[in-house]
Amino acid sequence: MASDSAATPVLNVSAVVKNYGARRVLDDVSFTVGPGERVALTGPSGSGKTTLLNCLGGVDRPDAGSISVRGTPVHTLDSVALARLRRLEIGTIFQFFHLLPTLTAAENIELPLQLINVPAPERAARVASALDRVGLTPRAAALPGQLSGGEQQRVAIARALVHRPGLILADEPTGNLDSANGANILALLRELSDETGTALVLVTHSEDAAAICHRRINLRDGRIVSGG
Amino acid sequence: MNVPVLSLLLRRFSLRHARLAPRATALLVGILALGVAVFVSIRLANRAAVSSFTHFTDTLTGQSDFIVQAPTGTLPESVLRELRTALGARPVQIIPVVEATAAQAQRPDEAAGFGRTSYTLLGVDLLSLANLASQSKVERGYFNQNQSQNPGQDLGTGGRAAQNGDAGADAFWRAYNAGPQVWVSAAFAPAVPKSLDLVLDERVRTLTVAGVIPTAKEAPRVPPTLLILDLPHLQELTGKVGRVDRVEFLIEPGPRAAERRDELKSILETLGGERWLVTTPGAQRESAETMTRAFRLNLTILSLIALLVGLYLIFQALDGAVVRRRTEIAILRSLGVEERAIQTAWLTEAAVLGLVGGALGVGLGWAGAQVAVRAVGQTVNALYYSSTVDAASLDPGEIALGLVVGLGASLIAGWWPARLAARTPPAQVLPRGVAPAAGGRWQRSFALGAVCVLLGVAFAQLPPLRLDGAGRFPLAGYAAAFFWIFGGGLMCGWLLPLLAHAARALGTVWAPGRVALSHLRRPSGRHRLSVAALHCAVGMAAGMAILVASFELTVRGWIERSLQADLYIASAGAQGASTANFISAAAADRLAAHPAVDAAARLTAARISLDGIPTLLTGTDLALMGARSDMPWIKAPDDPALWETARNARLALVSEAFSERFRKKAGDVLRVPTPAGLQTLTIAGIYADYGNERGSIMIDRAHLMQWLGDDRVTNVSLWLKPGSNADLLREELRKEYPGLAIFTNAKLRGEVLRIFRQTFAITYALEVIAVLVAVVGLALTLTSVLLDRREELTTLRALGFTRRELAGAAALEGGVVAGAAVAGGLTLSVALGWLLIYVINKQSFGWTLGFALPWGQLAALAAAVVGTGVAVSYLVGRWGADLPADREE
Repeated sequence: MASDSAATPVLNVSAVVKNYGARRVLDDVSFTVGPGERVALTGPSGSGKTTLLNCLGGVDRPDAGSISVRGTPVHTLDSVALARLRRLEIGTIFQFFHLLPTLTAAENIELPLQLINVPAPERAARVASALDRVGLTPRAAALPGQLSGGEQQRVAIARALVHRPGLILADEPTGNLDSANGANILALLRELSDETGTALVLVTHSEDAAAICHRRINLRDGRIVSGG
Repeated sequence: MNVPVLSLLLRRFSLRHARLAPRATALLVGILALGVAVFVSIRLANRAAVSSFTHFTDTLTGQSDFIVQAPTGTLPESVLRELRTALGARPVQIIPVVEATAAQAQRPDEAAGFGRTSYTLLGVDLLSLANLASQSKVERGYFNQNQSQNPGQDLGTGGRAAQNGDAGADAFWRAYNAGPQVWVSAAFAPAVPKSLDLVLDERVRTLTVAGVIPTAKEAPRVPPTLLILDLPHLQELTGKVGRVDRVEFLIEPGPRAAERRDELKSILETLGGERWLVTTPGAQRESAETMTRAFRLNLTILSLIALLVGLYLIFQALDGAVVRRRTEIAILRSLGVEERAIQTAWLTEAAVLGLVGGALGVGLGWAGAQVAVRAVGQTVNALYYSSTVDAASLDPGEIALGLVVGLGASLIAGWWPARLAARTPPAQVLPRGVAPAAGGRWQRSFALGAVCVLLGVAFAQLPPLRLDGAGRFPLAGYAAAFFWIFGGGLMCGWLLPLLAHAARALGTVWAPGRVALSHLRRPSGRHRLSVAALHCAVGMAAGMAILVASFELTVRGWIERSLQADLYIASAGAQGASTANFISAAAADRLAAHPAVDAAARLTAARISLDGIPTLLTGTDLALMGARSDMPWIKAPDDPALWETARNARLALVSEAFSERFRKKAGDVLRVPTPAGLQTLTIAGIYADYGNERGSIMIDRAHLMQWLGDDRVTNVSLWLKPGSNADLLREELRKEYPGLAIFTNAKLRGEVLRIFRQTFAITYALEVIAVLVAVVGLALTLTSVLLDRREELTTLRALGFTRRELAGAAALEGGVVAGAAVAGGLTLSVALGWLLIYVINKQSFGWTLGFALPWGQLAALAAAVVGTGVAVSYLVGRWGADLPADREE
């Protein structure tokens, strides 16, 4: 899918400022992400990428500026509304996969559907389809500890997409994988984003990862230096 | 051991963490101190109660060399002449003693009952005591010291002063000749009363206070409840004219003292034959220690529960600290700090906490002992002997023991967390997204649990440990309880996946339920430990509730059957096993002759020593008892001669406690020493008696009076004629006999049940504390678990879980843990209840009890534990939901 940030944006970030004590980690950050658009957030360590991602997901709150997902202002929501926004509109992929260790692969994928009260038969069908799509149908009953790193990240991707969110936030999704597995995961992410029209904000140091994105926003010392 | 690394770890990490969280450190020390304090205070109180067993005469004469007393009852005064003649000119002092007890008289507004101050009255020959003092062996024998602390009441002068004819002597003689007067303890000062109103047998007597008992530096402290009278005065007051309770012997010091001791012993034993027993104060003290050993051991075990509770909390706290500091430990490991150094540092930290907590605990324990000693003293007074202890002292040995206990407890509690800390992998390989440790293999072993339960069954079949002096301690019973608690705890862990499986439908409709139940399908070591601890607390509390309910059911039944008279009358001075107060035969006859009385049963109880073991010999009108009372039989007599005075002189009934204690059954023969010689009795039957654990022999009172040469009565039961009003008669008799305690049937039943419930109050309090602590332990477990799952919480929040849903998941997790613990605990409680009733109680006290399940109490306990478990877990879950997110960058 081609870049379309001119259409109604999925994500709108406007003049976001975030300080940790006296230190400013985000300074007047503004950009938008359109439906189906893939944006890479790049920059050296300490440039504020993960802090920005945490603000986008509502884990951190900006000190100034605004963030809205599909028109809903993230920074003003109370915890209940924020949780609701996350379960409906946002999917998250972590560098360290963060699967629930006591749930099987299928159960991990099913969890977001349960949170939005999808009926059980539909849940089963969507989980089966997601497992099939990420190539893990035979590993459905395996616990995370029994899966390889690549398999775990594929489960995490399926979990992030299964409830059909408008936006995926991914933090170094290949950072903990070898290059072959990393390439597979990136290909999968690109394919699924294209298939579902889900916007993707991807924090990465990797040129390969940034290459699957339509646009690259480069941060340095908390400011956008290019691509904003 | 790499000492510099260890030192670095302690200085830079352990100490800094303690400084950064001073309140948490103080709490940890406080918990441990409390556990040690309970242990130390009970121990000090026990020691004090035992060491308080001193002959009251010691405070006047110093310790006697020998004591001569009748096997039961009193000795005629004529033995004094006989003894003096036999001893000839040997330098031995003979000190006749009469000892009695008296209660403070009841105020007009005071309800009848037990619990009033009880005094020991010691009658000694004050003149010979003065002679004794003049021979300078025992300075404290003088009654001529200047009572400077209370000059206004200084009547207590005499002795040598009297012989010297000074002003003090005049005062002494005035007091001496004025009739019965008492000298009181210096503890009364400065408010020494002018007189004391005392109940002596059935009469209230007002005795003038002559002065304060003099003391010397090296003398034992005079107990506050000791009153001294001149021998003839006390003989007259107690109806023992011409008789003495015992004779004490003091050998004058000299080069041949040891030789003289042997000679004196031989003379006394040869002269006395079966008429008297020759003992020493040391032997009597030993006997007192033996008598109370099981009681003290039980208290110590209860105090250890408090220590165990403290140990569990310390464990939870240290375990939580390992989880919180895991990243730090992982970094240290990646920097090359070896496992052993980390484990040693954690153990050292635990040891320091233990030493500080132990030191504080010793101090707190000493303070607590000053309170506990009174409670222990009261129980010893009520059940065993006269204890005058009112303070507990601390010595270096006890301080060291307290420190060792504190240190040991914290090292035991810290061992597993230290091992966990040492096994933390280096930061580079710190696993992420891996299920928490499931605990050691033994912790997950159902088979080990089952083996422990079977071992418990085997131990429950074993007989009690026999202590000296017919004492019994149910060691195997306690071992069985331990194995059941331990095995049950292991098996309980297996309930968690079963319950999670049973509730799986909840997981399909409620996402937090799915998360919570998924953790219980493969429970962690922490889950298993928490469920085991809560199961233990619930099991013990519910087991105790079953014991008390069963006891109450049995005692109610016993009261129904054995208390059938309308009025029960005893001297108001009778305040427990340590007192001996009687009603004169004349007063008992007058009571029986009242026009409203249909029948009267008199009972006389005398303390005897059977094979050196103290027990009771009671005499009652067996014919009347057979006709009027429904005796609660363990083994009913089948010889009709028992109920006829003319034919029952060689027959006896014994209580169940006696039968257990002395291992005697129906048909066995007893050889009972009495002042009239050795009596041979055949046991005709065994009856239940829940009021006396020392056991008793019951014979026909006609024979007992003859053997004792004493017609006084311990209590009288009155059956009234139809139409008579027991309450009105009680009021009438109370006015006529102010020194008597008179109970109607209903009042006595109520009093018995009140005392019964009071007995279990401390035990209940300890059990409730154990349950509360176990619930707190559950909260601490969940705190550690949630800290351990911090990444998971971050993920769940990212997936859209609300704070309430996260708290709900924790509440369900805690609720299932509490539910499993309650299910296991209630099962355990039935087993423990059975063990307490049929093994431990039977072996300790020799009482047969029925079995009752207090359904209401058990249901309330279950609901309270699960409800509290859910509530605290919910709160912990809310706290966990607010934990800051992990930042990867």
